[in-house]
Amino acid sequence: MNIAVVARNTFRENIRDRVLYNLILFALVMTVSSIALGQLTLGYERKVIVDLGLSAISIFGTLIAIFIGIGLVHKELERRTVYALLSKPVRRHEFILGKYLGLLATLSVNVAVMTVGLWLSMLYQGGIEPAGYARILPAVYLIFLSLALTTALALVFSTFSTPALSALFTLFLWIAGHFNYDLLEFAATSRTAAMRRFFQALYYLVPNFSNFTSIDSRNVIQSAAYAQPVDWTAVGWTTVYGLVYSGALLALAVAVFSRRDFK
Amino acid sequence: MTGTGARISGGRMWPWLALAVGAALAVPPAQDRVQERMQARAPDPDILYFASPDAIKKMALGYEGLLADIYWMRAIQYYGRREEAERRPVRYKNLAAMLDITSTLDPDMLDVYRAGSIFLAEPDPVGAGQPEQAVALLDKGIARHPAEWRLRLDKGFIYFWFLKDYRHAGQAWLDGSRLAAAPPWMAGLAAMALSRGGEIETAKMLWRQQLEQSERADIRENARNHLASTEVAETLWTLEFFIEKYKEKAGRPPRQLEDLVRAGFLRRVPVDPSGVPYDYEPASGYVGLAPETKVRYLKVPEEYRASFRRKLEELYGSASGRG
Repeated sequence: MNIAVVARNTFRENIRDRVLYNLILFALVMTVSSIALGQLTLGYERKVIVDLGLSAISIFGTLIAIFIGIGLVHKELERRTVYALLSKPVRRHEFILGKYLGLLATLSVNVAVMTVGLWLSMLYQGGIEPAGYARILPAVYLIFLSLALTTALALVFSTFSTPALSALFTLFLWIAGHFNYDLLEFAATSRTAAMRRFFQALYYLVPNFSNFTSIDSRNVIQSAAYAQPVDWTAVGWTTVYGLVYSGALLALAVAVFSRRDFK
Repeated sequence: MTGTGARISGGRMWPWLALAVGAALAVPPAQDRVQERMQARAPDPDILYFASPDAIKKMALGYEGLLADIYWMRAIQYYGRREEAERRPVRYKNLAAMLDITSTLDPDMLDVYRAGSIFLAEPDPVGAGQPEQAVALLDKGIARHPAEWRLRLDKGFIYFWFLKDYRHAGQAWLDGSRLAAAPPWMAGLAAMALSRGGEIETAKMLWRQQLEQSERADIRENARNHLASTEVAETLWTLEFFIEKYKEKAGRPPRQLEDLVRAGFLRRVPVDPSGVPYDYEPASGYVGLAPETKVRYLKVPEEYRASFRRKLEELYGSASGRG
């Protein structure tokens, strides 16, 4: 129950902070590009609209996840509202989970509205089969999963670090997470067994964000743009990975937050 | 201070606003001066900041599709903006690299291989004059899309028209004709290319295919120009042939092209595809397109002249027949 209350308050606070203003920016980007791209791409307008729309959903979402996520706990500490909350019968894990779910709710509203915006742009372009509209949904789903993981990552840092450092750490891991398969290569080419094990451990430790960007060695945004078939098994395993990793991060956030003393 | 109830009132805003506007107005001229200095020093403005397709793909962080679109737009602008191209030391130096990057970022954009290979193969100043790079680009596409017959059609076309390698052209079309989706005429095309002498007919058939089937306006325009150029070349070779015949018969060149009609070599004096009569200079024997022509003449391979002449000789070689 308490989790829902904290989540609802976090969501409301985000709305009050005008997080949804980015939707206006998204609408502007999509409208202008829908009109302008016809003259620039010569024959690939529909593909470019889908590429641009899904990339924008991902970029805007990631920015929100990082920059709101890093302040989730820190802001409450700074404003000292955390004392009032925790003195009530709200347990620490409920506070962390509520915060997390509140931001996920904000992100899901964002992603949903932007998806509708993308559909409208596709409709404006015209000439797209009904299956083409449905085909962007698996890509949107995977983008949302990656946002959930990014949020969990930002939340962990938020429990013990300042917003500036948390943003830096999260951004760093988000970028590094796109190069995860290189760690496997390093492991394979390492001369010593210790180095090999080190890189292998790092490979599992760093959150693998490329899992959410390519399925079956195809980029998810591109295969949505070409309406190529979806490998549902791979999507299933990516979901499992996202849930397990985010779960581990949330548990870590709760653990760190539980140990903290508040003066 | 606020605690005591005293109020800190704001100062005058206008002087600061005027200063802001004044400084802002000075920004564009300052930027122009900086840019002038940059241009004066830059040895080559045609820079490709990232040249490795695989490195760019890695750095795309999952946004390869969007980046491919940007590179494709950039390649089209790079190729399509004639004035900008004229200012570069080498017109299309980076075109092959841009197309390679685009096709690595998004290997499923068929136009990158199809239109890109034409942009690359066309000789300067229309294209980059790199038919070997065009074949390499198409081979990359074929490796990715082995069932796509149109890529093999294009590959044969580059070999046939730009490299004059009829054996490889025929082979590419033969390979293409074996694919399930290939149209029936592709085998005929291969046969024509592999037999000697049918070059110009094959070329016309290919340009006509492009004109009728391409969805891209720039490719259709290019095909139209090539078809018109082929027609012009054939007419000029025919005129030269009959001018020689006239000289043999009359002991002097014709004074005007109408003389060829009067002598029974031609039914009428030909005009170019834009309706403008050809230029003829009796003294030098020169016959060519008039300056006011609207035909954009693209060079027709000289090798075709010999086989076309052989055909004329077979038809009219023995006597002054009618053209």
